[in-house]
Amino acid sequence: MTRIQQVLWKLEMDYIGHPYYVSGNAIVHALGRSLDLSVLNSLRASHGVFVPGEFGRFPEEHSCSGVQPYLGSRLPDIQGYDDLFLHREPDHHWLLASRPREAVNTHGVRTDAGHPTLAHRTIMGRPKAHRKGKKTIYWYVHAYLHADDPTTLPLGEASLSNIQFGGKRNYGYGEATLKDTRLVDLDTLDYSRLRAADAHLIQLITPFVTASEYPGANDVPVPRWWAENRDDLRFREERVVVSSERYRLETVDHGQVMRYLGDRPIETARNGLTRVGSHSRLGFGEFRVIPVLDCTETTGDSNGREH
Amino acid sequence: MIDVYRHDAHKFHGQPHETAPEEFAGVSANRSVPHGADADAAALSRPGGHHDSVVPTHMTRYRLSLLTGAPTVMTDGGSQATVDTDVRDLLSVTDPEQAHECWLRSDVATLFNEAVVFPYTSLKYHTLLVAALCVNYRDGHSFEDLRLVVDEAGEIVPHRTVYAGSRFGLRIDVHDGDRPAARLGSRPWRSWASIWARLTDHPLKTDHDKWDMTLDANLRRIWAWSTALQYLEEFAGLRPSP
Repeated sequence: MTRIQQVLWKLEMDYIGHPYYVSGNAIVHALGRSLDLSVLNSLRASHGVFVPGEFGRFPEEHSCSGVQPYLGSRLPDIQGYDDLFLHREPDHHWLLASRPREAVNTHGVRTDAGHPTLAHRTIMGRPKAHRKGKKTIYWYVHAYLHADDPTTLPLGEASLSNIQFGGKRNYGYGEATLKDTRLVDLDTLDYSRLRAADAHLIQLITPFVTASEYPGANDVPVPRWWAENRDDLRFREERVVVSSERYRLETVDHGQVMRYLGDRPIETARNGLTRVGSHSRLGFGEFRVIPVLDCTETTGDSNGREH
Repeated sequence: MIDVYRHDAHKFHGQPHETAPEEFAGVSANRSVPHGADADAAALSRPGGHHDSVVPTHMTRYRLSLLTGAPTVMTDGGSQATVDTDVRDLLSVTDPEQAHECWLRSDVATLFNEAVVFPYTSLKYHTLLVAALCVNYRDGHSFEDLRLVVDEAGEIVPHRTVYAGSRFGLRIDVHDGDRPAARLGSRPWRSWASIWARLTDHPLKTDHDKWDMTLDANLRRIWAWSTALQYLEEFAGLRPSP
């Protein structure tokens, strides 16, 4: 049995740190202040994706449907594999076209001592002239945990509450409170959409590490079930900080989509959730398997999205 | 091609397309664009069908800035008369290639949205997208042949360059010439984030530079093309000088 624990935190203060996500390393570090060492050593954390606490419509591939208020600020029921990715992609295609989705889904950027700072809320409307039109939308951080020792999970609310991410924590930056958490058994999920398709794509949700300066980390070639070779991929340098030491990583940058050449899409999909490659316990190497329902045509969903 | 750069002249003055005059300041204006390029460019930045305003407190032709949240104003504090003059100058250019370059450099076109109900869109980048699609369609290519291509700064390809910044340019074209590129897909939709995320290389310093990473992070969150290109232009002004 493989269980993951989804966690949704609400940012209470602005955040200074990695702008793409709160790294799994930062999440483990933040949780470490309230956990026993044995629990901490067993823990594996995903990267935390920033989610706007806004209305939304469940995407077509989700097992739920319809418009939900605050779809971004709750963890909905999980029945199928695709449900796990509702909050994991930064373009958040569940946001409604009838709302100012670009304004809601881009971080407000402030400057602190020359560094960019991400705002913890977005205030819409012009409060002076239209007091009633004012609306505040808060940012959330979505992550999930799993553990080498399955009895470690679920972590209790006391361990997950009142946490801080990123830099300048002494000044209150990065304060977050627990909003929602949910345990999911990966073995009981519905994988039928993957099973029904003859062809699949791989979408990298977080960077895949191909080389690491960290002692003992193995250099990993791009998996053979990715259709693309190195020349077609975009690379980006990342870093992990362990015991105040910085180690450089070479990664295949997240967000890229490759054709899947393997013949075991469900097993691959499962591996993508628990992540592959070096530093996977710190959030790297997460990916989604996307079924291509008709090989000759690209698919589109109700929001006009194509894969 | 010159008509393409004047097809939305009425939006500078808040007139509906149906009642817009066929001439503006002595030149033809508000003519429809061939090959369906206008509709396809609109689909890159706005959903189809009828929509109420996404920001009911801002029902004007002036753009809302995604960077500041505020309505746009002329950076040099120019008056309405200055705006009118700049609009007239922009629309009066008669050479198509010169008109393209004027639109790429234009400040006044950034003040306006491409649709009142979607105030974060940009009339400047909508018009440049229409031009790029139109010229590619005119040459016999279909949408699915097209790519977003990253060019070096200062390299302007007539009608096809849709963004010309001080660090790099972006172009919509069939051939990428071994430059970083991504295919646009089978049909136009609000695909900016999806296409940007698939570029074979990003023209930003995304390894360590926190400002570029922040810009990249937000570009991965924007669907509408004209909004994203305008955000790229505006973000350059946010970054503190080294």
